[in-house]
Amino acid sequence: MKHGGVTKFSIQNLLGPIVVLILLTQFVGGASTSLQLITQFALCLFVMVLALQVFVGNSGVLSFGHGAFALIGSYTSAILTAPVNIKENALAMNQLWEPLVSPQVNVYASLAISAAVSGLIAAITGSLLMRLNGLAAGIATFALLGVAYNVFFNNKKIGPGSQALPGVPWITNTWILLLLAVFTLIIVYLLNISWIGRTLRATREDAMAAPALGISIFKVRLIAFTISGAIAGLAGGMYSHVAGTFQVQDYYLEFTFVTLSMLIVGGSASIWGALVGTFIITAVGQVLLMMEQDIPVFGLQVNIPLGSRAVIIALTFVVMLLWRSGGVTNGKEFSLPKLKRK
Amino acid sequence: MVQSILDAISLGGLYSLAALGLGLVFGVMRLVNFAHAELITIAAYTLVLTTQFPLVVSLLFTIIITVFVALVMEFSVYRRLRGVNPAIMLIASFGLSTVLQRVYELMFGALPKSAVVAPFLRGDFKIAGLSITISSVITIFLTITILLAMGYLVERTSLGLQLRAASADFKTARLLGVRSNRLISAAFGLSGVLAACVALILVIQNPQISPYYGLNITILSLVGIVIGGIASLRGAALGGFIVGVVLSSLNTLLGNGRVYAYSWLFILVLVILLVRPGGLLSKGTELERV
Repeated sequence: MKHGGVTKFSIQNLLGPIVVLILLTQFVGGASTSLQLITQFALCLFVMVLALQVFVGNSGVLSFGHGAFALIGSYTSAILTAPVNIKENALAMNQLWEPLVSPQVNVYASLAISAAVSGLIAAITGSLLMRLNGLAAGIATFALLGVAYNVFFNNKKIGPGSQALPGVPWITNTWILLLLAVFTLIIVYLLNISWIGRTLRATREDAMAAPALGISIFKVRLIAFTISGAIAGLAGGMYSHVAGTFQVQDYYLEFTFVTLSMLIVGGSASIWGALVGTFIITAVGQVLLMMEQDIPVFGLQVNIPLGSRAVIIALTFVVMLLWRSGGVTNGKEFSLPKLKRK
Repeated sequence: MVQSILDAISLGGLYSLAALGLGLVFGVMRLVNFAHAELITIAAYTLVLTTQFPLVVSLLFTIIITVFVALVMEFSVYRRLRGVNPAIMLIASFGLSTVLQRVYELMFGALPKSAVVAPFLRGDFKIAGLSITISSVITIFLTITILLAMGYLVERTSLGLQLRAASADFKTARLLGVRSNRLISAAFGLSGVLAACVALILVIQNPQISPYYGLNITILSLVGIVIGGIASLRGAALGGFIVGVVLSSLNTLLGNGRVYAYSWLFILVLVILLVRPGGLLSKGTELERV
């Protein structure tokens, strides 16, 4: 089976998604206040999908564990930036461990720390998990998510437990989020065309032949897992600053499935696919929400019964997989349509 | 103490039934059917909503509906995804699972539906001064019966032979005359029957049915079939049993720390996988891309 993946630097492969991302942010995000917020969330999710693309897309190993890295990133960022008086007085935080109360850092520094912490944890857990293959690897990464969720959900000494940590400072400027997304996109692109991306795809295509060519599957997967864990941490951190709160439940099964389906619907082998998938899933959800609330979409008023939205979103997803199992982009990078010469 | 041991065994048996349902389908088409959870859920709904009939009728009705839903899954989605990368099939099954959850929510509402199924199975009785719940004994009895029936079916009948052959090597089995479509449908049908049995036992213990009713047990038995060894049905049943017993024992042993039972369980799973990546019952290592 041949999957996608670029090996040579091409300016249109890189600039295409960036330009589309900027245009979408400008025109969709600028349209109304509610669309602006949705765009902000979508940008966070896009960074998360990029994180998945680095590892899942290139290695072909499913990871359900990235929700854990997003959770840890979000938690780190939130606990470091939430005001001291909230950490001292909020009901959800009344059992917080003393040393965690006073630390305060700048919002942007907290994002960097989130990425670093998640990356470190990805490196440590990866050094065990990356020895596994196939379904065992998938279940093992799921176990990671299960442990992270279970611990954060129940331990009120380190965080808010099952409640929300309020008062996380907002990032209201969409352009800062866009800048972070573009920055991540460039890193992921450069990574994909580097030896790391190429050898990783070699292990995906043939797990027997790759070692025969001197590739250490463990080593290259571990590097990618670490980097993608760090990016997931960044995504989680961004998410907590857009939501203005941290809650463990936000990063569990639904988050995992939504982000994975964005990757798969778009086409897991390319950055362009990550962007298309994030856009499609977000847009379909939004348009249906407007229909459900009887708000005209592009001047057209279509009413659908209350509650049917969720069914249609999930159905769309299944139908898309049936229609194109390689994703909408089929794993190809962005390229301009070629002009026909007469 | 005796009660705890019985609870552990009955939970283990229950998980091994669920794991067997997943394992049957995985064996024939390398599909981790996550939507198995929704088979258990629909079976539980049917049981709770048909309590006005005698238990046997209600159970029969449940089995028919569950098998029907299982076959609809096969015909509408999975049949079109044959030969696709297993990772894509797994993701598709997540999608299907979500679709069904939402449909249930529309049909039955988000609030739990509840009714007393088989009231004579509630309560407890005393043996030698020990109080023992009836449901745990019945669960063990039912589980053993169903496992024996499944064992007979898989080991002694022609269908079972075909299932085992297809699990071992689907292509060769086809070349030897196994009809793939019929066999896969049979596997889905059987997994539907097993889901109905699991639902019956679950409903006796907890009759609060929500759209997510089957999710938890399915995730845990999925973990079970991987640590048991996905290559064989015995491995699946064993793995499910281990997960159930460990979880139940952890809940008893940890006392106040039982909120962390899942963490310990998952850590144990990680250790087992690192020591035996192919599962407990595997022979040698095999590379499989999922």
